[in-house]
Amino acid sequence: MAIEIRNVEKTFGAFTALGGVSLDVRSGELLALLGPSGSGKTTLLRIIAGLDHADAGEVSFDGQDTRDRAARDRKVGFVFQHYALFRHMTVFDNVAFGLRVKKKAERPAEMDIRRRVGQLLEMVQLSHLASRYPSQLSGGQRQRVALARALAIEPKVLLLDEPFGALDAKVRKDLRKWLRHLHDDMHITSIFVTHDQEEALELADRVVVMNHGQIIQVGTPAEVYDTPADSFVFDFLGGVNRLNGVIEGGVARLDGKAVRVDGEVGPNGPAVIYVRPHQVELDVAPGDGVPEGKWSARVSSLHAAGPVARLELDLAGRALEAQLSRDRLSDLALDVGSWCTVDFRHARVFPAKN
Amino acid sequence: MTAVASGATVRPAKRGWSFLAPTILPGFGTAFGFTLAYLCLIVLIPLGHMALRAADVGWDRFWAITLAPRVLHAFYVSFGCALAAALINAVFGLVVAWVLVRYRFPGRRLIDAMVDLPFALPTSVAGIALTAIYAPNGWIGALAKAAGFKIAFTPIGIVIALVFVGLPFIVRTVEPVLQDLDAEVEEAAASLGATRWQTFIKVLLPAILPALITGVALAFARGVGEYGSVIFIAGNIPAVSEIVPLLIVARLEQYDYAGATVIATAMMGVSFLMLLGINFLQRWTRSRHAR
Ligand SMILES: Nc1ncnc2c1ncn2[C@@H]1O[C@H](COP(=O)(O)OP(=O)(O)O)[C@@H](O)[C@H]1O
Ligand SMILES: [Mg+2]
Repeated sequence: MAIEIRNVEKTFGAFTALGGVSLDVRSGELLALLGPSGSGKTTLLRIIAGLDHADAGEVSFDGQDTRDRAARDRKVGFVFQHYALFRHMTVFDNVAFGLRVKKKAERPAEMDIRRRVGQLLEMVQLSHLASRYPSQLSGGQRQRVALARALAIEPKVLLLDEPFGALDAKVRKDLRKWLRHLHDDMHITSIFVTHDQEEALELADRVVVMNHGQIIQVGTPAEVYDTPADSFVFDFLGGVNRLNGVIEGGVARLDGKAVRVDGEVGPNGPAVIYVRPHQVELDVAPGDGVPEGKWSARVSSLHAAGPVARLELDLAGRALEAQLSRDRLSDLALDVGSWCTVDFRHARVFPAKN
Repeated sequence: MTAVASGATVRPAKRGWSFLAPTILPGFGTAFGFTLAYLCLIVLIPLGHMALRAADVGWDRFWAITLAPRVLHAFYVSFGCALAAALINAVFGLVVAWVLVRYRFPGRRLIDAMVDLPFALPTSVAGIALTAIYAPNGWIGALAKAAGFKIAFTPIGIVIALVFVGLPFIVRTVEPVLQDLDAEVEEAAASLGATRWQTFIKVLLPAILPALITGVALAFARGVGEYGSVIFIAGNIPAVSEIVPLLIVARLEQYDYAGATVIATAMMGVSFLMLLGINFLQRWTRSRHAR
């Protein structure tokens, strides 16, 4: 099912949690809502599910406005951040809940319920724990019970709020892969919330970056990573060098030398130049000074475990991180303390915030 | 192995009960000895002594006194009215607690304070106040009279008095549990398609039930023992609206100490059995619901 979100606004008292958000969610895609804590991700998810009302704007499912549809009529599977399992019910009864509360006419026979719940528990690999209570499960197991419970009603949309937030790193990674496979099998339109950029980039078909109740950028993981819309997205996705420079007459300059940048160059004034470590090009320093239009830097540390080497450089007092292949590193014969020339293959510049 | 690791942090099986299980708190011996001595002094010795005195009259007379129609009826009134009042409070006390916890409205603090009034008032004050409105010449009593029945001086009056004194027990035991309920659990139920009513019955009530039963038990026990607020409104008509505590006082006033002791002992026995039963019920619901 496709979801269209148009100019949705939500305020809590004087605080604007969502300030006019518009978004199209394509049928069958796995979408990530990525943003720092407090950026309005949960609020947006709750409005889609009908657990909160928007102050303005509309949400429609396959072209149909949802304003008058209560949460229980939306057929939206919601997996809460803290699972919200029914503590006094067994795992089995938790998963069966959505089937058992159906209207008499639609409710499957008890035998069918058992079969269906059995299948779901098998799918989330919890068949052996069907008669346990939630308090007797680990975090990852509870998470999967919550997921099975949401899937039991055969939702048209699956919404997951920080699905991996409360889990430890190892379980997180496993569950992430598993969720991706599950989505590929079932093709339910799914939206998950996360504040972890790595998670969003690795798992999602498309990523929606949010900040202060606004959508900053929507795109595939590659688009968002390679062409961040603004300095916030750059900073939030991380893994980037920030170099203080200036903009003068439409040219970005670092230590007086022009930097070739992609995209717009802002108005004159102090600016920040963003360069990803793998876009930093290193070369052997020639004997006679720095070549035209390049910079000179000294290697301050070097990590060469794995296929990619990471170098920390000192560029006129600024820390600069560079990545290059091990082969290239041995060609350059660089070591801690040695000098090299630096150039930037791709860089972006944004006016500095004061 | 499966893709998802089951980070097996599963609770260990319940440990067997052991009288002297190791504990981090020191001084178990002293504390336990003190507890026993204290309970003996305050509870066990007086009650045991009374039971012994009752035994003095002999088995046959014991039963003859206890099973006399007037006494039996008083038992029926005492326990019946206390139970009815506790159950009525279970419903309406729950509603009051719900409103106090879930809604914010002007005057909420005032209502909150009013709930505790029956705790604080001397029960005779409550008795006089209730009698004044429920007696046939009081304004609710007059309405009832016009409708063709009486409230004061009948078991209905007793139930009303016991509802009054029992209300805070339910409200105050249920309130903290309602406060701790996770709103997300209700939202989860709604998103799974449950109606408000289904959510209440299947999700909320099981969570509240242990506390509710505790409240009912307290209100019931209080109702059985209540004296001051009941004697005015009850009118104390033998075999109609006479409660056991009043019967005991009546026997004492007639210098029938043996009779009073026997009835008191029987009352104690029945109360104890009922509290025991409630205790088992509580343990059962707790083991089912609050894992
Ligand atoms: N019920 C509420 N009452 C008041 N403020 C709220 C409420 N829910 C959310 N907020 C505020 O709205 C902002 C966005 O919240 P949320 O959507 O939960 O952010 P996120 O999920 O991105 O961390 C937060 O600053 C939060 O404090
Ligand atoms: Mg959130």
